[in-house]
Amino acid sequence: MLSLTVEQRSWMHRLPVWLKLLLLCLFTLVLWPLADWRLLLASCLPVVLLYASAGRYFAKLGAQRLKPVVYLVAIIFIYQVVTGRIEEGLAICLKIIATVSLANLVTMTSRLDDMMAVIETLAKPFHALGLPPRALGFAMGLVIRFTPLFLQRGTQLNQAWRARSPRRTSPRLLVPLALSAIDDADRVAEALKARGGLQNTKTKETQSDSAPQ
Amino acid sequence: MMNNAIVLDGVNHQLNDKPFFKDLSIELREKRIGLIGRNGSGKSTLARMISGLIEPEAGEIRVHGVDIAKDRKKAIETIGLIFQNPDHQIIFPTVEEEIAFGLESLSGNRKQAREGARSFLASFGRLDWAERGTFTLSQGQRHLVCLMAVLAMQPKAVLLDEPFAGLDWPTTRRLYHWLDGLEQQVVLVTHDIDHLESYDRILWLEKGQLIADGAPADVLPAYREKMERLVFSDDEILGPGLPATNGEQG
Amino acid sequence: MERQVAFIALFAALVAALGLMPQFMLPFGVPVSAQSLGVMMAGVVLGARRGALSMILFVVLVLAGLPLLAGGRGGLGVLAGPTVGFFLGWPFAAYATGLIVEKWGKGNLLIAGTFASIVGGIFVLYLLGVLGMAVRLDKSFMEAASMVLVFIPGDVIKAFVAGFVLQGIAKARPSALLSRG
Repeated sequence: MLSLTVEQRSWMHRLPVWLKLLLLCLFTLVLWPLADWRLLLASCLPVVLLYASAGRYFAKLGAQRLKPVVYLVAIIFIYQVVTGRIEEGLAICLKIIATVSLANLVTMTSRLDDMMAVIETLAKPFHALGLPPRALGFAMGLVIRFTPLFLQRGTQLNQAWRARSPRRTSPRLLVPLALSAIDDADRVAEALKARGGLQNTKTKETQSDSAPQ
Repeated sequence: MMNNAIVLDGVNHQLNDKPFFKDLSIELREKRIGLIGRNGSGKSTLARMISGLIEPEAGEIRVHGVDIAKDRKKAIETIGLIFQNPDHQIIFPTVEEEIAFGLESLSGNRKQAREGARSFLASFGRLDWAERGTFTLSQGQRHLVCLMAVLAMQPKAVLLDEPFAGLDWPTTRRLYHWLDGLEQQVVLVTHDIDHLESYDRILWLEKGQLIADGAPADVLPAYREKMERLVFSDDEILGPGLPATNGEQG
Repeated sequence: MERQVAFIALFAALVAALGLMPQFMLPFGVPVSAQSLGVMMAGVVLGARRGALSMILFVVLVLAGLPLLAGGRGGLGVLAGPTVGFFLGWPFAAYATGLIVEKWGKGNLLIAGTFASIVGGIFVLYLLGVLGMAVRLDKSFMEAASMVLVFIPGDVIKAFVAGFVLQGIAKARPSALLSRG
């Protein structure tokens, strides 16, 4: 499974994730009350410079990642123009573009496992509420492992349909797909139990999820 | 009788963005054809191309005269595909619906298809399976449902992609024996080479290329010898030699 | 415990796979992402609490930077976009959907699943989604709502499909329906 992190490293990759998250929060909070489109346009400038500082390839990829949001924003802007509120629309759209692209930047420069480490740290208070320490790490790993598998299984069921029907596939295929997920879940649960389970308190938390080198 | 063959003509196809099948041309007229090769040799992709589920990037594939990738309506009358794992093939909650599905695709009539499925089950002596849940059947029973669902459509050729994995020995043998009696042209993709000795023609595929093509007596011994050599040598699938174990003899 | 974690994680994976799957097309030939259907399915199969946990897991992984949203999107940018309310609304939608299926006594599961999915996967989800849009775009609630109404008919069909899936699973694997205790 691919993550959205860009492999080619930049200086921003080296900053600690918590710092980037903090700066992102600050930036978003500062922009929040602004309503003047000129100020918001100006706020896009540092974001563009940050992208540019990571190189041409990185900036191009960043622009690509922004595409779906740009489409959405364009529709909103047209709506604003039609209802005669151009300046307001400009402000809203620029605000979204600036904050989304900065947030994307954090994602693009942070490794998935570092992000997950932040999540596990944030989840620590929940251990007191009954969340087993290993459960979250396990669950995240399972999602990454099984998403491509289910995708493949969906493709296979789709082929099984097309092998016996000239018509377009139907959402009926979701029943066998969901059933296979259920059966896999049972098997995974057994496999987890067979190797110590999630309640195992003897394992040190820091070692529990890393494979032996 | 001109058209009872599977014909691949200049097939080129990429796998993982790399050219894999290069200018593959074969004509298969024999009634029993075995397709062998290691994991990753392209057997499954070839099987899906012959079934028309994957269209090759270049070249043409005709099965009994039908352009199976383009003419899907004709294709499902012509070739049936049995998947490796029944859970990838079975779509419906009951056996009757599973078998009726293909029949409904052919006739366009649901009621008729249901009746057809029942009479087909009856001809197999399995009418009592009609209402049973496909996901409550045992593994062997599910394999049989997959076979029945395809055969009920009376295709002219049947392609089996490593079928019967995980079945016990007598069940596997029983299904193979029964397959031998079918009227249809059969293409069997398998690692179970013992069963292929009675076949008419064996294709040995590696990395998208045919490295042997001929009678079982010519191809199978060479294949067996090559595979046995691989047991004790480094290879691409498992990598270099495994560490010594206590039980190792020498 | 292991079984619960496995179900929660695998349904999050299923929702991800549904969003990335191009072949599943709903009626009238319009390709619609099946991802919100996955949210309904998580609710009807797993029940309120586990369905919500499964969607929280999904949301967290998307924010961590996995491209699990329809079209391979993901990352923190989702939080800054106008659809943030829909995205963060998924755990609540799954919870509401699951709660109704849990409380639904005996009776037709197709109806139970469809009704629960309409309430949770449409009513609750759109409420939160439109609220998010209204805040993000500085609009009134009604104005924001008018921008997304066109998607509701498609989602009603998805709710029917979710009911159908619930019924199918109840037949094949009654023990797997955590929502039906």
